[in-house]
Parts: sequence; structure tokens; C-alpha cells
Amino acid sequence: MRIQVRRTGGFAGIERYAEVDTSGRPDAAEWQALAERAVASGRGTPPVGVPDGFSYQITVDGTTVYCSDPRLTDEQRRLITRVLKEGA
Amino acid sequence: MVPDMTTNGGFEPVFCTVVPPHVLDKLARNDDPALAGPARRTLMRDSELRGRRRVTTEFALAAAPTAKAPSDRPLRTIYDAGHGTALPGTEVRGEGTDPGQDATVNRAFAGLGATFELFLKAYARHSIDGDGLPLDATVHYDENYNNAFWNGEQMVFGDGDGEIFLDFTIPIDVIGHELTHGVTQYTANLTYYGQPGALNESMSDVFGSLIKQYTLGQTAAEADWLIGAGLLAPSVSGKALRSMKEPGSAYDDDVLGKDPQPATMDDYVRTGRDNGGVHINSGIPNHAFYLAATALGGHAWEKAGRIWYDVLTGGELSDRAMFTDFAALTVKAARERFGDGGEELQAVSKAWEQVGVRIP
Repeated sequence: MRIQVRRTGGFAGIERYAEVDTSGRPDAAEWQALAERAVASGRGTPPVGVPDGFSYQITVDGTTVYCSDPRLTDEQRRLITRVLKEGA
Repeated sequence: MVPDMTTNGGFEPVFCTVVPPHVLDKLARNDDPALAGPARRTLMRDSELRGRRRVTTEFALAAAPTAKAPSDRPLRTIYDAGHGTALPGTEVRGEGTDPGQDATVNRAFAGLGATFELFLKAYARHSIDGDGLPLDATVHYDENYNNAFWNGEQMVFGDGDGEIFLDFTIPIDVIGHELTHGVTQYTANLTYYGQPGALNESMSDVFGSLIKQYTLGQTAAEADWLIGAGLLAPSVSGKALRSMKEPGSAYDDDVLGKDPQPATMDDYVRTGRDNGGVHINSGIPNHAFYLAATALGGHAWEKAGRIWYDVLTGGELSDRAMFTDFAALTVKAARERFGDGGEELQAVSKAWEQVGVRIP
């Protein structure tokens, strides 16, 4: 499973991107479960968030959803944090 | 890929409202109270604001006496999110209390006070709604959170990750920037997308910088005209996040990249990202303000700031205003407040001409 996260906006307006390929990883099942829940609660089009809030684009195996701070589900927040931290 | 939201004017009608009403309607009916609650509050606030703006504009009731005059003192409350994301968090400091051990809390408290002070002393505005609205801020939001934002009701500040960004309460202009988003919401309510969104961002940078200048007692010539000075970690190559004096020159770093802001319309960036480049193209109206303020000299909040404030709060600025609409209103405001043929009118007109915004 390929998980990509792109973060735009924010006070600085600086974009960040990272992705994780879960194939062959010992924790692949955990990633997969988290990613599926995060995508399930995402939106098909970008919401215009609050002023200076981050906007996120999550792509899992080619399916893209959008979400914005501060209205993230716990799964979305956890997935975004992990991908931006551990991904490349 | 991000769908191409770019249009000729950098403006896409689909994204004309801050959050599209149909989305809010759907969210408000969501089973999850975390989603439904804010959406319901936003819908209520939006309808209230729209009603108020219409009444204010159409019936010129802006100066109507209220039942009780708002106080000349702020009503501040600082909350601590404890590195979580639940808002507002635990109350840690209220009005009339002494500074505590947490420097972040104390900075946020002081920054709210400084912002209240500028709007009151320079423009006789009582708090961000003009009617004494209590000022709430949450600090220590999330972990290593590299951002600060205005959620429609309060300010939220992250601690930064310490590697790229430090604590977002450090620069007073960042605090002023977030609160000014509140002022804009209660007045022109500029749509947060494309050119109106860049104007919304520019309002926050202009008054954020003026709050810093007012606090330091600086003239336009003495000010650094930087947004977010002191926010970047020592290892980052840069002096701030944005420069109103020289847009595009604030940072140039291996990790952050280069400051993408244009100073003139020749370099206007057409993009769908960042809500249509709201933090990018704000460099153009930011630079126009800098040019007008430095041409006039003295304290920037007295003349250039006064003109910008008149436009933001005057009731004529559309929520979908483009740069030219805003520029034309500043020229009109300069004439109305400081007279025809004055140096103010000349400085403002010339500033827009220099950044390539043509006034119809």
C-alpha cells in the first residue's frame, strides 16, 4: 500500500509532502487499517478551511481525499503525523 | 494530484465562501458531534454576520449606539491544550491575574493586549468585533505543531518543532496576524481563496506588523516590515516568513525552499494550492502598504494604517474583492479622510502603480 500526504497552507504557506510504501514492512497491517479509516472519513473535494489552517491531501493507492485543520478525525491526524514524520 | 483550481483571476466561484454552505449543512447533520458542533456554530455565526453586515452597510447603522458601551479594557483568557487538539483546553490565565511560569502563556496574553490596544487607540475599535468580544487563545496545541491559526472563534498556537519553527507566540506580529483574521471576519469577511483570500492574508500581515510597530513605538523608517521574525529555528537560513519591504527575500533554505512571494503583479502566482496562493500573492498588497507607509513617513498606523482600516471596516469592500477593487477603495478613503490633492492620496495611488495594480 502506498500512502501519500501533502500538506499545504498554514501561517507560513509552506508545502510539505511525504509518502510511505507499506509493502514488506512488519507493521503493514497497522498502516493499512489506519489509512483505510482515515480515507473513509475524508472528502472528495478540498474543504476551504480556517484562516492559516493546514489543508491536507491524502492519497492511498491512487484514491485521494481531502481534509483541513482543525476538523480532522483522530485517524486522519494520526496518519498525517506518521507519514510526514516517517515517510520520505 | 491537486485538481487544477487555477483560473484567470486566480479565483474559482466554487470556492467562494470560507466553507461552502452546503458542506456546512451536511456537516451540521453529521452523527459525530466533533464535526457537527463546529459546523452548526459556523452556520449560526455566518448568518448572524451576513445579517449584521447587510444591516450595517445598507442602513448605515455602524455607529448606532449600543445599549451598553463596550469596555476600554480587554477581556483575555489563555487556555492550554496540553499538546492535545481539544479546544479550547484548560484555562491557565484570565484577566487581572499576574504572569505565571509559562512564558508562552504570558506572551500570548501580552500579545492579545497589544492587539486590543492598537485597534482601540489608533482606530477606536473595541476588540475584534468592535463590541468588546472576549479574546481567547489556546497555546501548546498538538505536539511539535508548526502552525498558528484562527478557527473563527479563537486563536490557536503551536509550539513549533524546534527544528524549523520555534514557538508561534514569539513574534507579536503573528499574534496580531491571527487576531486580525477575526477583525476581517467581523467586517469585510474577505473570502479565503484567490485574490480576496490574499487580501485577507495581507490585512493580517499589515495590522500584525502595525501592532509590532505600535508596541515598539517605531516609525515606518525604523520598522523591519518582517512577518514572523524570531520564529525560524537558528539552523534555518532566513530572517522571517515574509517581508513586506522585499517580498520574496524572507528565507532561502535547504529544507524550507525559497520565499515564494511576489512584490508586483508581473510575478503574480496562479495556483490552486494554499487556497489559491493566499500566502503567496499577499506579497503584492503587502508591498503596496509598505510603499505608501514609507512614502508618508512617521507612524504607519496613523495615515496608511488608517486608510487601510477605513476600507476594511467601511462596508464598501466586497467579500469577493479583487486587488483593483481594494486599491480603488484605498484611494477613495485617502481622499475622504485626508483631502483631495493631499500627500496621502498621492502616496497611496503611487504605491499601487508601483506594484502594478491598475485602478479602474
